[in-house]
Parts: sequence; structure tokens; C-alpha cells
Amino acid sequence: MTPEAIHDALQQYFGEAITAFDADAIDPTVTVEASAIHDVGAYLRSEPDMLFDSLMCLSGVDYGEAQNSLGVVYHLHSTALRHTITLRVEAPRQDGVVPTVCDIWRTAEWHEREAFDLFGMRFDRHPDHRRILLPDDWEGHPLLKDYQVQEFYQGIPVPYEGDPPEIGMDVYRFQDREDLA
Amino acid sequence: MCAMAGKPTGDVYRFQDSKGQWRTHRRPSHHQDGFRSGGPGISYERQGDDLILQMGPQHPSTHGVLRLEIVTDGELVKHITPHLGYLHRCFEKHAEAMTYPQVIPYADRMDYLSAMNQELAYVLAVEKLMGLKEFPERLEYIRVLMAELQRIASHLLAIGTYGLDVGAMTPFFWCVRDREKILDLFEWVSGARLLYNYLWIGGVAHDLPAGYTDKVMEFVTYFEPRVQELNDLLSSNKIFIERAASIGVLTAEDAISYGIGGPNLRGSGVKWDLRKEEPYGIYDRFDFDVPVGTGEFGVLGSAWDRYIVRVREMLESLKIIRQVVDQMPGSDPNEAMPRRIRPAKGEAYLRTESPRGELGFYLVSDGTEKPYRCKARSPCFTAISALNAMNHGGMLIADAVAVIGSLDIVLGEIDR
Amino acid sequence: MLQYFRNIWEGFWTPLVGLSMTWRKLFVPSVTMQYPEERWELPTNSRMQLFVNMDDCIGCLQCERACPVQCISIDTVKAIPDEVEETTTGHKKRLHVTKFDIDMVKCCYCDLCTFPCPTECIYMTPSFEDSSPDRYGLVYHFVNMTPQRAAELEEKARQFDAAEAARKAKASEKSATATA
Ligand code: SF4
Ligand code: SF4
Repeated sequence: MTPEAIHDALQQYFGEAITAFDADAIDPTVTVEASAIHDVGAYLRSEPDMLFDSLMCLSGVDYGEAQNSLGVVYHLHSTALRHTITLRVEAPRQDGVVPTVCDIWRTAEWHEREAFDLFGMRFDRHPDHRRILLPDDWEGHPLLKDYQVQEFYQGIPVPYEGDPPEIGMDVYRFQDREDLA
Repeated sequence: MCAMAGKPTGDVYRFQDSKGQWRTHRRPSHHQDGFRSGGPGISYERQGDDLILQMGPQHPSTHGVLRLEIVTDGELVKHITPHLGYLHRCFEKHAEAMTYPQVIPYADRMDYLSAMNQELAYVLAVEKLMGLKEFPERLEYIRVLMAELQRIASHLLAIGTYGLDVGAMTPFFWCVRDREKILDLFEWVSGARLLYNYLWIGGVAHDLPAGYTDKVMEFVTYFEPRVQELNDLLSSNKIFIERAASIGVLTAEDAISYGIGGPNLRGSGVKWDLRKEEPYGIYDRFDFDVPVGTGEFGVLGSAWDRYIVRVREMLESLKIIRQVVDQMPGSDPNEAMPRRIRPAKGEAYLRTESPRGELGFYLVSDGTEKPYRCKARSPCFTAISALNAMNHGGMLIADAVAVIGSLDIVLGEIDR
Repeated sequence: MLQYFRNIWEGFWTPLVGLSMTWRKLFVPSVTMQYPEERWELPTNSRMQLFVNMDDCIGCLQCERACPVQCISIDTVKAIPDEVEETTTGHKKRLHVTKFDIDMVKCCYCDLCTFPCPTECIYMTPSFEDSSPDRYGLVYHFVNMTPQRAAELEEKARQFDAAEAARKAKASEKSATATA
């Protein structure tokens, strides 16, 4: 199926919940209401002429403070019917909630954890909603555009503040070495 | 390995800061809920007398720094919770501060055992984002040549370390010996042995040196009998088969649902290779087979199937290399190299077949010279998430090691 | 029953096949090398230590900008016209390079800095044996210039700029009076 046909089918089935469609993009993208993504996913997974059985990639994106939204982008592929579509949902930057799709595609479970870890949107009904790459007690979500790194992590200063003082520094001059010059 | 019943949680830390003053740091209260165990799929509630075994982070068979929290019942594994992040180097955050060409060395370091394939995936994604399609023939051939040589090198290490994981020492040395020859070839062309920064956006760092293809052919003729030797030594070894042919069974449905690709998926009997299904570059010109697991010595989708797919794939890669060398055209590979790399606003996702599976890059551009968002979809990340799906109730603690080895994970890529 | 004995037989036979190969390998030359005594012949384009030929550097900062880890730091001072020299490639050295440090500890040996250099004076050498007891030992200072000399050059440049500005002002004044 072409992306247009997929979009039309989704539009017919979900109506209002499909907010936009970008057919000219490099990967044609359907924008979906955040609250509807689970239903849309289940529909795309099971409908006989969709059969999107593989979620290639799930990525979080920070669209910046101006737009005040975080996005989650789903790249879907059907191994049976060989078509692809990209879905996008947007959630507010503070306390954004997106329903999980990890009961539809199991791979989403860790990818959603990763998106939560790095961006901070919550995934509703996720069975194991923890950080994955960063330690559990890390503060903040590093891939946000306005992320400020915490000053201390468990007593260890975090930001790298230039070189430590040059004590006992023995300057080694490159030109003195004949074998290299 | 050490057994540990719980995690100590300290909440207040006192420390001396760089100016010599004493300060306190309090952990936020929502992080103090102590020990929890959970994992992909079925989250696991710890029962009274379960023993928790902490495997790693410093454990030779986790292939890097990975910590597995294994809930055991005697010798049986009930549930595994992988804890990642020990090698997290903020690739995605770094990439946002770099220009597009500057990301390539970082992409190398994601999966340091198959750096060429990482470069290729990243470079193809940027090219898709920029809408570049026409490249000099020679460039395309060089890319395929490098990717396939790297695939052999990576599989060699995967096979060797897998043998090591299950107790076969010799194959490892033989594999490393042959891999060294490939690294020599890479060093000759790019100057580096492991992290090449060789494939660039729309070009390569250097054209192939004179006589390079002859040396490649020399390697191919040298290497082909070695695969047979390896088969005699390890693949058909009864002890090895008994060890691997019935553990860690991954069903095809699980594999697809978990997003696993590459040899791990093919080991489950799914004939799926992105080089065939969605040929990127010029892979549609070459004639090669896609080996799949058949379960000939045990259960389909077992660790041995995944292993043998890698061995057979090396022969297919040799086939491709032969064709590349035969058809290699002579021209300037860098004719079409764009001078300024500044993609228009937009986003693109591209996936390629790396030796470990389906490696994708999702790039968002805001029209500047730096990516707005660069997400690496790593194959090992998804592979390790399926660890519990491979436990059908009879996994022993020692099997956990053998299963992880058969997945061929590289922690640099999982944690990025 | 037959299967049982076959299994035992295979369990013995297949390792023996492997062992026989291992034994055969005892009589082929070894592939390892006694490192400090024997060395590899490295290709000429090996990417090891960086080297800068300061005679040719024009201080254009291209390499500093290309570096992904910011391990090159260069300071320059404008050269007064009488002091401008030429490089071997025919470029004019309009700037004095007062500091050219490369921190080889941070360097990731990616080779990105060598390509944009207009005079090809920064390049990687095949020398890899360099170690230092502390991390500053691997900060290479390619310019041997005392701070006094750098300050002197800066002062000179400033004086020249001032003189030039004064001359310009005078000239424009003159032209203004001429047109008036
Ligand atoms: S080799 Fe790479 S990291 Fe090292 S100085 Fe050059 S650009 Fe920087
Ligand atoms: S690019 Fe070359 S000429 Fe320019 S500052 Fe660097 S070393 Fe000097």
C-alpha cells in the first residue's frame, strides 16, 4: 500500500485523531493524536491489508521550547506486505504522556524506556517504566535542548571544568624528538 | 559473579568540593524505593526465597560491561534483567553538537568491531537526508567491498569469542589470526586498524591504493579453506553441538516482534536480509544467498543455528567480494563529494544490514550544519532485550552465558 | 542403543578431528611477533602521532575547526606587512602562530584535521610509540615561543594597527577637505 492509501484508511477509521499527513517528506509521515497511538498501532498491526509487524525504530525528539512539544516517531514496516509508514505523536514538554505500544510490538518496550530516559515523556501503562541508559537516580533528561547537567552525582562533580591544575607538569617538547621530526 | 540479596541505598552524601568546602547532596526521594526487579515483557516480582545473582558488570562473557540480574531457582534461571548504561557515552547528545562529517568518528566508536558498517549506515542516512542519489560507480563498489570485509572480520570475532564462551579456546586464536589480515587491509587503505573514519558523505577518505584488489583476492583465496577448517574444528564438534543446539531458542514470531534482525533473525529460520529485501547502495547487483538456520542438530532458532548462520554468511560475503573485485570500475570515487554538508529541513530514517542486525539511523535536520537529532537504532539493543523470550523454562545459569555469546552483542552499541 | 554408541563415538571422533588440526598447526611458522625486537612494517599512511610543520602553517585555524574533540588550540597574532613570509607552497603567512598545542590524550586519531589544511602542513606520522608518565606529557607544543615574545608581537601588531588607523583617518580627513 502506498503511504497515501494508508493515510486515507487511517483517516477513515480514526477521523479526528489523525491530525496531519506529510506526503512529500523523505519518509511520508502521519501525525496522530497522542491519546490514539495505541489504537492506531493495534489497527496497523492487525488489519489484513496493513500487517505492520515490525517496529523498526522508535525515537523521541525534542521539538524545542518554541513549539513546546516532545515528539515520538514510530517507523513501521510490514515484513509480509513490504510497505512502510512513519507515525508521529506530539506531547507537551512538561508531563507529556503517550500510551505505550509495547504490547503490540515488544521491541517498543526498551525503546520507550530509552525515550523516557533521554526525553522524559511518560509512557502510559508501560510495564517497566524505568530509566535504561542512565542510572536510576540521575536528574533530568539529557537530550532535551535546554538540559542543564546536574552539579553532582552521588558526590562526584559532573560537569567537566577544563583541565585540572598543572601541578608538576613536565612539558615534553615534540621538536626535541629526532625520531619524529 | 557474586550473590547479593539487595541494593544498599544511601540517600545523603557528604563530600568536599573542589574549593575544599563540605557539602551535602541528597538523592531525590522517589529514587529511594530500593530494590526492584523487572524486565522486558513479563515484569518479574521477586518472591521470598529467590536468589539474585549479579553477573557482571566486569564479567568476561558479557562482552563488555553489562550487568545481568539473574533471578535463580537452584540452577535454573527464572528471569533475567539486563542493566545497561555502563558504557553510555552520549553518542546522540554529542552528535547534536557536531557537524555532519564530525559525527563519523563517533559513529565508528558505537560498534567498534564493525566500524565500517556503522559508517556506512550513518553516511547513507545523511545522503538520504540530503537527497543525494547519484554516486560514482567506484565509490559504490568500494563501499560494498569495505562493508563485506568488515562483516567477515566482525563475524570472525563473534565466532571466536563464542567458542571461547562455551570453552573452545583454539578457534578464537585462529579467528583472530584471520581477522588480523582484514585489519591489515583496512590499515593499508585508511591508515587505522579499528576506527577508520574512511567512508565519508558522498566519498571516501582515500581512493584504494594501487594493487589493493589483488591483495583482497589474496586474502579471499587464503581465507576460503580456513572456513572449512573452522567448520571441522568447531561447527561439527559433537561437544559444541550438544552444548549449543538446543539452548536459547528464539522463535520467529518473537524475533520479529522484538525487532531482531541480521544473523539472529535468520538463525530463527526467517529469510530476511536487508541487502536482499531493501537493497541499499548497489547490493541488488550481486549474486549471493541468504543462509538461514534449519535446526539441523536440534531446535530451530537455537544458539547453534545463530552461530552457523554467521559461519555461512562469511562464505557469502566472500562471494560478494569476488564479484566486487571482478567488476571494480576505475574512476575517481570522490567526484560527487558535496563540498558543504547542510541538508535541508527534514528527517530521514535509513536502515542497513550490519553484521549484528538491523542498524538504522534516524536523522532530523533543522537546516543547519549540525544534526538536530541523531538517533541510532542499534541491533544489539533489541537483541539483548529478547533475552527473556529465549528462556522457555529450562535455561541454566551456564546457558545464560552461552546464549548471550550467541547473540553477538557489542556493548558499545547497546549503550551508545 | 545404536544412537547411544554413535553419540559416544562422535563425542570422541569430532574432537579428535579438531585436535589433529591443532597438532598440525604446531609445525607451521607462528604468526605472532616478539614485539619490541621485531616490528611491523606500517603503511606510510598510518594514522598515529600528529605532526605539524610549523614553517608552513599559516594559522588559518581550519584544522582547529574541523576537529571533533577540540584538542587543537591555536593562538595567532597579526603579522605586520614587513614580516610576512611565504610558505613552501606559496601561501602568505599573514599571521604569527604564537601557540599551537595538540592534546594527543584527547585526540581520537580521526584524521579530520589534515584534510582541510591549505598548506598540507599538519599530517599524521606512522610513529606510535609515545608514552608519558603524566597526561601533560602528551600535549604537544609545536611552537616554542616565550610569552614575552608573544606579547612583543602583539604589541607590534597593535602599534601597527594604531598607526594604520591614524593614517586612514588622516587620509579620509584629507579627502574630505579636498572634496569640500
Ligand atoms: S586527528 Fe582528529 S581528533 Fe586528532 S587532532 Fe586531528 S581532528 Fe582532532
Ligand atoms: S589548517 Fe594547516 S595552516 Fe591552517 S592552522 Fe591548521 S596546520 Fe596551520
